[in-house]
Amino acid sequence: MSYNYGYNDNPLLENFNKHAKDVQKMKYKQDLPPPGRFPAVQHGAKPPLVKAPSGAVLIALSAAIMGLGMYKIGQGNHKRREIKTEKHAARQTLVPLLQAEEDMRFHMLNQEFLKLEASVMKDVPGWEVGKNVYHSGKWYPPYWNDLPGYKKGL
Amino acid sequence: MSIPTSSVLMSAWTHIATKCAEQNKEFMECKKRDRDPAACIPCGEKVITCVSSVLKELDQRCPEEFAAYSKCMHYYHNKFEECRPEQTTFEKSCTSMF
Repeated sequence: MSYNYGYNDNPLLENFNKHAKDVQKMKYKQDLPPPGRFPAVQHGAKPPLVKAPSGAVLIALSAAIMGLGMYKIGQGNHKRREIKTEKHAARQTLVPLLQAEEDMRFHMLNQEFLKLEASVMKDVPGWEVGKNVYHSGKWYPPYWNDLPGYKKGL
Repeated sequence: MSIPTSSVLMSAWTHIATKCAEQNKEFMECKKRDRDPAACIPCGEKVITCVSSVLKELDQRCPEEFAAYSKCMHYYHNKFEECRPEQTTFEKSCTSMF
């Protein structure tokens, strides 16, 4: 397209006019869209890049993991119970020995205490040395730790 | 003869259980009948002599393994699960016929 301005024929603009036609022949730059159309504008939500598993799958997976965990807990409890039974069996076998030793020690000290009691209460009429304080007939350990051994720090 | 500390007794409990089972049972039944210490002293003496004989026998048969096991138990405060290697060597050398 050539535009015919009135001053194009001015002889003073000879150089300008000489080059003007060359410029007109040049392809002009214009900000046009690319060949084909522009891509469609994305509006709204995009679809996900990776499809997530469904809810049922997630629930099943978590249940499986929890089940495995509970199984491991049960196994661990079994092992701990075994260890405890061993410990309790060992203690059970040692109870008679320890109790017998303690009985002998207590008996020796109690004899001394009964002698002391007899010497203290010899003038009291109707006093039975070493009599059970209770009427049920069962033996109970002494209420007060007045045995001589305790005072000596045994 | 080694002094019966807790770790020594705990390491020898299988032997005590097999060899002194009758005496232990007698003592516990006596205690059930009467809690008075004076009543169960004869049974108690039998228990003590039995256990002493067991420990003496272990000292004669396998002193090193028994001492090593007792030492390990003493180190770990009588935890059986921490002393399994020493326990296996001890049981191999002196079986308790459990």
